[in-house]
Amino acid sequence: MKKVLITGISGGQGRLLARRLTGEWDVTGVDRIPWIGAPEEILIETLDLRKRRLRNVIRLSRPDAVVHLAFVRHFRSDPRVRHSVNVEGTQHLLENCAEFGVKRVIILSSSYVYGAQPDNPRYMHEDHPLNVSRTFPEIRDLTEVEGLASTFLWRYPEIATSILRPVNTLGYYVHSAIGRYFKLDLLPTIAGFDPMMQFIHEDDLCEAIALALEHDLRGVFNVTGSGALPLKQAIRAIGKRRLSLPEPLADLLIGQAFRWNIYEFPPSALEFLKYPCTISGRRFQEATGFEPKLTLEDIFESVSR
Amino acid sequence: MNNPFKLGDMLRTGLTSIECGDSIAREIDEKVVAIPADLNSYGYDPWGFSPKVFRDYLLPAAIMYRHYFRCITRGIEHIPEGRCMLIGNHAGQVAFDGLMVMTAMVLEARPPRLARAMGEYWLGSLPWLGVLLDRIGSSVGTPQTCADMLEHGECILAFPEGIRGMNKTYADAYQLQEFGLGFMRLALQTNTPIVPFSVVGSEEQAPSIANLEGIGRLIGAPAFPITLTWPWLGPLGMIPLPTRYHIDFGEPMYFDGDPTDEDDVLIEKVESVKANIQSMIRDGLARRESIFF
Repeated sequence: MKKVLITGISGGQGRLLARRLTGEWDVTGVDRIPWIGAPEEILIETLDLRKRRLRNVIRLSRPDAVVHLAFVRHFRSDPRVRHSVNVEGTQHLLENCAEFGVKRVIILSSSYVYGAQPDNPRYMHEDHPLNVSRTFPEIRDLTEVEGLASTFLWRYPEIATSILRPVNTLGYYVHSAIGRYFKLDLLPTIAGFDPMMQFIHEDDLCEAIALALEHDLRGVFNVTGSGALPLKQAIRAIGKRRLSLPEPLADLLIGQAFRWNIYEFPPSALEFLKYPCTISGRRFQEATGFEPKLTLEDIFESVSR
Repeated sequence: MNNPFKLGDMLRTGLTSIECGDSIAREIDEKVVAIPADLNSYGYDPWGFSPKVFRDYLLPAAIMYRHYFRCITRGIEHIPEGRCMLIGNHAGQVAFDGLMVMTAMVLEARPPRLARAMGEYWLGSLPWLGVLLDRIGSSVGTPQTCADMLEHGECILAFPEGIRGMNKTYADAYQLQEFGLGFMRLALQTNTPIVPFSVVGSEEQAPSIANLEGIGRLIGAPAFPITLTWPWLGPLGMIPLPTRYHIDFGEPMYFDGDPTDEDDVLIEKVESVKANIQSMIRDGLARRESIFF
């Protein structure tokens, strides 16, 4: 059986993927936190991606493929730590993949790298510039990770490297930014703005990653679910209450709430509640035959109480 | 709360209480349902078009179409099936001409069509208006969005003069300003017929004396026209004069060629569209007996 190493295996998406791949792949996982209750056949090492122990794990297990899911995606910790884990962690991982003969690498980026802008084309393609740091510098580490990954892509043509950019991911297990936003009791929205948003269910994303592993996928791919809906309509579909704030007030209140650690998203994240960041998943569908199975209703059902 | 849905509901309730409003509302309901659209189970198309919101906002537009501008529309039978691009002259400080063409496409075209206007980029950053633009099936006019919509078989409405046309002073009335080339590139790229149209009556709805672009820039708008009523009467000054609109659609024009050709090659094709529209305007003006009646 071929071996796959999953980084960030203890996270929601990591666990789902590990379970999905077990049986077809010999799964090894690394994470900073342990996975309590992990299936026996999955070997898990608790470590920091930036540390030398990662090298030993890769050297000893010699994986055929690596799926990189270990990113800090929240804003609560020190921004320098987030940046260092994401950027240096990725760099260290990629160096070792090259050295120990890994044949496939999949990096789970995000559609957020395109940034939310009023004049974005609807349904952007993979070659659209990554503009997110223009208005949302807190997640520029994601674009830097993509930079590292693209360099890796052309430096090691013998390794099938693919970067996946999924849309807003929702489900029972994942702790995505949008998932945490939808878990709030009262959701802030901006008066007069209601952008189209795309959603994908965690199970469909799992399937997409598995398909990317099966096919010798190379390059950058947007991954989309089964459609788009205006943000406020999505909030209604989930059955949540929202508070519509005028823009200047939202900036002020959320800035303070973020500073006092009451609210977990920085004010610049508000751009995504104002402007569209929709992407076209056609390229990935054509390359892998991927078809999302869960409808928008299923997706919202899975996160509403 | 402050969302365009509620305002649309209020408009509808208010306007259907008057007699002509009620009959037009019923006509619109029938026709909007007949517009082919790719809706999801929540009633939105991929670009955010909502027939429900469109229907509500079309009602005041249709009342204006019938009873304010009293539009006379000719040549609507020239609209081909499937993808097409409506290209015409732009005037009148506020884009009532676009609104009336969209309304004509629903009220007069057989079958009713949704004309998707390609808006200025800055419209997307305006609260409420930006959302409304999406809900009525239009969009910020990026070339990619436009190409995607055409590939999908949609009807696109564009004014290649942009604000150069809309905010020109009355001294230049009915003289077409410089056309952008983008629409021709897209037409060639997606093999789309171009339907030229002219609007006569829009120039006199708000004759402008000057355009103080400097002040516009200060407040973040692309233009700042001075008319007989704006800015003197405040928001009331934006109300257009009740001129009669004559909307003429011409025969579709088919082009082929390389969309990546040099500007000079494209300009030739664009000029032929422009000349066509200019002569339609001339005919319209010659036929018109009065500005208001």
